[in-house]
Amino acid sequence: MTETTHRGCPVAHTDFTGTTPIYEHYRMLDQDREEARFLFNDTTERGFFMLQRYDDVREGFQQHENWTTAVRSALRPDVSGEPLLPQDLNGAEHVKLRRILNQFFAPAAVRRMEPMAQQRCIELIEEIQGVGSCDFVAEFAIRYPTDMFLALLGLPVSDGEQFLEWSDDYFSALLAGDPARAAAAKSSIMSYFDDAVNERRANPRDPKEDMVTRLVEARIDDVPLTQDEILTICLTLMLAGLDTTRSALGYIYAHLANNPADRQALIDDPALIPKAVEEFLRLYPLVFQAGREVQEPQRFEDLKLDTGDVVWLGVAQANRDPRKFENPDQFDLHRPNANQHLAFGGGPHRCLGMHLARLELKVVLEEWHKRIPEYRVAPGTELRERGVQLSMASLPLEWEV
Amino acid sequence: MFISIEADKCMGHGRCYAVAPDLLSDDDEGFVAERGRCWSIPDALIGQAEDAADACPEGAIAVLATATPTDA
Repeated sequence: MTETTHRGCPVAHTDFTGTTPIYEHYRMLDQDREEARFLFNDTTERGFFMLQRYDDVREGFQQHENWTTAVRSALRPDVSGEPLLPQDLNGAEHVKLRRILNQFFAPAAVRRMEPMAQQRCIELIEEIQGVGSCDFVAEFAIRYPTDMFLALLGLPVSDGEQFLEWSDDYFSALLAGDPARAAAAKSSIMSYFDDAVNERRANPRDPKEDMVTRLVEARIDDVPLTQDEILTICLTLMLAGLDTTRSALGYIYAHLANNPADRQALIDDPALIPKAVEEFLRLYPLVFQAGREVQEPQRFEDLKLDTGDVVWLGVAQANRDPRKFENPDQFDLHRPNANQHLAFGGGPHRCLGMHLARLELKVVLEEWHKRIPEYRVAPGTELRERGVQLSMASLPLEWEV
Repeated sequence: MFISIEADKCMGHGRCYAVAPDLLSDDDEGFVAERGRCWSIPDALIGQAEDAADACPEGAIAVLATATPTDA
């Protein structure tokens, strides 16, 4: 007989790893959240305790001392064998590395990238504007953050096409839980980064402006970062910044294509775009969960947690929790507390690239709508989404030329 | 009224100084420069202080009728 409770917690069997029609994952997530405050999900080998309400999820992110990133995804706890930095560090060690990186991702630093972000965005839009249609995901939404990532590392955006192929291959292998394929894709990427880092060792730039030079010159407790650590940081930034931005753009453009009034509001008053970005992040989080691993037995409300338990922090469930956000499934440009969404996580591990992501999304919304204000999803398209970490494989858009 | 920003809870989300630019500022790492402080605010900025409190994903900011300022 299937277990109905696990250590006193109701058991759920919802599978969040499949490919489904678009928005189906949000429906399943909302349903689980309203079924019980806490659930134990038994669909993975280790299972996981689900925190689903806004207040619980936020507290979960803040419990960083006992709930560590030894597991980063409740759905793929064993992909955590793949080293990532700074995520894999916790406590004081994590803070030291974040302090080296923070200055390149702070709003002030990101603002310095804005002219370049605009220019590259305009170039990519102008390539497709005259065609009257595109697969928004493949022809725009992944190319833009890839080019921005290369620029952040001081690498030529002309490498974007090749780089994109490697990174896509690597990321899809990781999500599919296929370590052999992931390792093959990873070696091409690491060798590319290795060349870039060595070039910067030979020809250092200003470490205040150039992140790779800063990584090469940085000392933590008087010890320089190893080459492997620097390469792992580069790889982590790539993994964190490309698929997420592509996916966010996909959900935003699916929404705007299907909701012309919301689109018109942004065209009429582009000053609303930063607010729209926050509300889109709240409404359509792609990383719909984060994982943590319990280090010491602990009672959290009604949950009795043991060492080694996997905890699920339900980001999308928090962002769509009606206890926190009124009419949570509505896009509301004037929502007073939209900024409190947890799409970028919280606590010391909150997304390092959040300000860069905000800039990229804002620039795309501004520049695209100046050039292509009217567009629609190609008739007859059935949009589908990938589980684990949401993304659309394809979003065909059409417009008049 | 007073505004108080808990340094331990601030994680540099940058929402507060985005919505309260006349009251708060950012440092080089993206944290609010005033974190760890509690101070009296003029009436004209109470609205921005409340917006900042409502914008913080960590719940690090409070607007208080009575408080002991840190730099009194």
